[in-house]
Amino acid sequence: MSRKRALIADTFCLTKRRRCAADSVTADGAADIRSSLQYLMTLFSRKLFNDSLPPVVLKHQLYSLHNDKTSVDKQVNELRENGDLLMFQLGFDSEAFALVFAEDYRTKVLQGEAGRETLGTVEKFLAKLIPGCSDLSFNKEKMLKEFLFTDPAITQLVKSGVLTVRDAGSWWLSIPNSGKFIKYFIKGRKAVLGMVKKSKYGEILKTELEGHHTTSQVKFQMKYHIHEIMGAELVESIQTTSGTLLRYVDGNVN
Amino acid sequence: MLSFLYARQSGLDDPVRLRRAESTRRVLSLELNHNRDVDRIHGNGINTLDIEAIDGRYMLSGGSDGVIVIYDLENNSKKPQYTCKAICTVGRSSRHVHKFSVETVQWYPHDTGMFVSSSFDKTLKVWDTETLKPAEEFQFDGNVYCHHMSPIARKHSLVAVGTKDPKVQLCDLKSGSRIHILQGHRGEILSVRWSPRYEHILATASTDSRVRVWDVRRALGSLFTLDQHNGDKSKASSEAVNTAHNGRVNGLCFTADGLHLLTTGTDDRMRLWNSATGENTLVNYGKVVNESRKGLKFTVSRGCSPEFVFVPCGSSVAVYGLHSGELITMLRGHYNNVDCCEFHPDYQELYSGGKDCNVLAWVPVLRQPDIEDDETNSKRGGAQAAINPAFVDAWSSDED
Repeated sequence: MSRKRALIADTFCLTKRRRCAADSVTADGAADIRSSLQYLMTLFSRKLFNDSLPPVVLKHQLYSLHNDKTSVDKQVNELRENGDLLMFQLGFDSEAFALVFAEDYRTKVLQGEAGRETLGTVEKFLAKLIPGCSDLSFNKEKMLKEFLFTDPAITQLVKSGVLTVRDAGSWWLSIPNSGKFIKYFIKGRKAVLGMVKKSKYGEILKTELEGHHTTSQVKFQMKYHIHEIMGAELVESIQTTSGTLLRYVDGNVN
Repeated sequence: MLSFLYARQSGLDDPVRLRRAESTRRVLSLELNHNRDVDRIHGNGINTLDIEAIDGRYMLSGGSDGVIVIYDLENNSKKPQYTCKAICTVGRSSRHVHKFSVETVQWYPHDTGMFVSSSFDKTLKVWDTETLKPAEEFQFDGNVYCHHMSPIARKHSLVAVGTKDPKVQLCDLKSGSRIHILQGHRGEILSVRWSPRYEHILATASTDSRVRVWDVRRALGSLFTLDQHNGDKSKASSEAVNTAHNGRVNGLCFTADGLHLLTTGTDDRMRLWNSATGENTLVNYGKVVNESRKGLKFTVSRGCSPEFVFVPCGSSVAVYGLHSGELITMLRGHYNNVDCCEFHPDYQELYSGGKDCNVLAWVPVLRQPDIEDDETNSKRGGAQAAINPAFVDAWSSDED
């Protein structure tokens, strides 16, 4: 008799499905993502940046909390269409996207701009951006024609940090003062991966890693980094009877 | 299961439904079985496998040593223990054997009298199965990475060949000419595939990160290029606009109905596309580890209700749900990298070959027969206990 639990197709589980259909309704799927996002935002350490950055979450951290990646992507896109969430290309990895709640972004940017002469242009840009536009980058045509910005106005936006240069005539949407965030993030990620790699057999229980004391390299909370490396599949997560085991995956470029 | 049988019998359900449910159950229970073995002939890694489409009886394999082997997959002995024998081989001693590694082999789609093989010795050979001599040989300027013949073609007999040259060459088997080329790519062509739905549609994948879909009757150029961002230019960095992957695209596979196309790339991603419009369906499979420098051969199941994709990932074969994107299971058994896998649609078996020179057969686990009568079992005197397995004492130890 085989000890392994066999995989059963959905079609053969009809009776079980009917009974618990009422419990697991996916209608509140969107609410799920929002609550996961809020949970992840609490893991973000605000004090580190003197409160000048809005809480930033990476899209693949959500993959570590939910099983179905496609539905996570769909729901994130829905939230972006509604104008609740903004997505940014961080630049160090073409697949790493940062997510920020739109209201947080707006308050932090205006807070950072208060007192500077670029305030007016930035306000105008945010007003155009937040309700309607869900793009990650803008090119010159769009800025001049659709948004009706002049060249000096675009320069002011770049100076204030809301836009960063992508190539001649096009810009990425970005978070002001996010350079420090990216620096600490990459260093921290490398340090946490090193911790997993150095442990015996290259694997460590997730709870043990969370309890590990953080080195000076790791500025963020351990849980933030752990969700990130699990979601990006830089470590393999294996379910064991003592919890989740994280195993270092060879062939990582880091 | 009984409910399915009853529903089919009484006409409540379509007959196809029972077949699909059972095929799905069989695919989900694929595992290595000591009853099924494939003869080990290759001395070096196996690069490609192909099962003929007509009977599903004969399988071709091509290896890194240039050897081509034909196996008989059918079990004619009455015993459950069966080794798939190699019927004939084009070995190193043959005069016509390929000089370097064979990258792709394919049976002629309409009968097993002929097969085509392409290799790193820059040739494409069309073999006669009876005499195992090449009936035709095409020479190329660069390494031939892959070739494919359309499985449904009636009006043409073109072989699409992908080589180091950015031009896709079409060789005509009827006339022996190879003047038809498809221009448009800017890098080596790592994979070519004809659509199983329309005999003139061809998809090609290249190291320039682009996948192009062509209609070979059209002189001007490709029909469209697959774009991973679906035209949303804002998402990509400016060099990556209009690309299918963020790295080399090295695997292509159409689904059995030809409506969808799967591509894998060295950016460790697999994408599912709508083959009519070229739209990325945005199904997220997660990280599909892909370090292959040449083409990767993967396959999709046929006849199951949620279809499955079998992708070689390192030294195991990963099974993903086609439209849901979830990783169902990893089939572990090879000792080294897996290079190719092939699905047998009639028996729902998977054959995979890799660098460890083994072809492994993954067979669905059969349902164990229920123990009905105590008397009949004891008469047979078999090793089966006549006790219900739930009452067997499997925990107390003799040492206590």
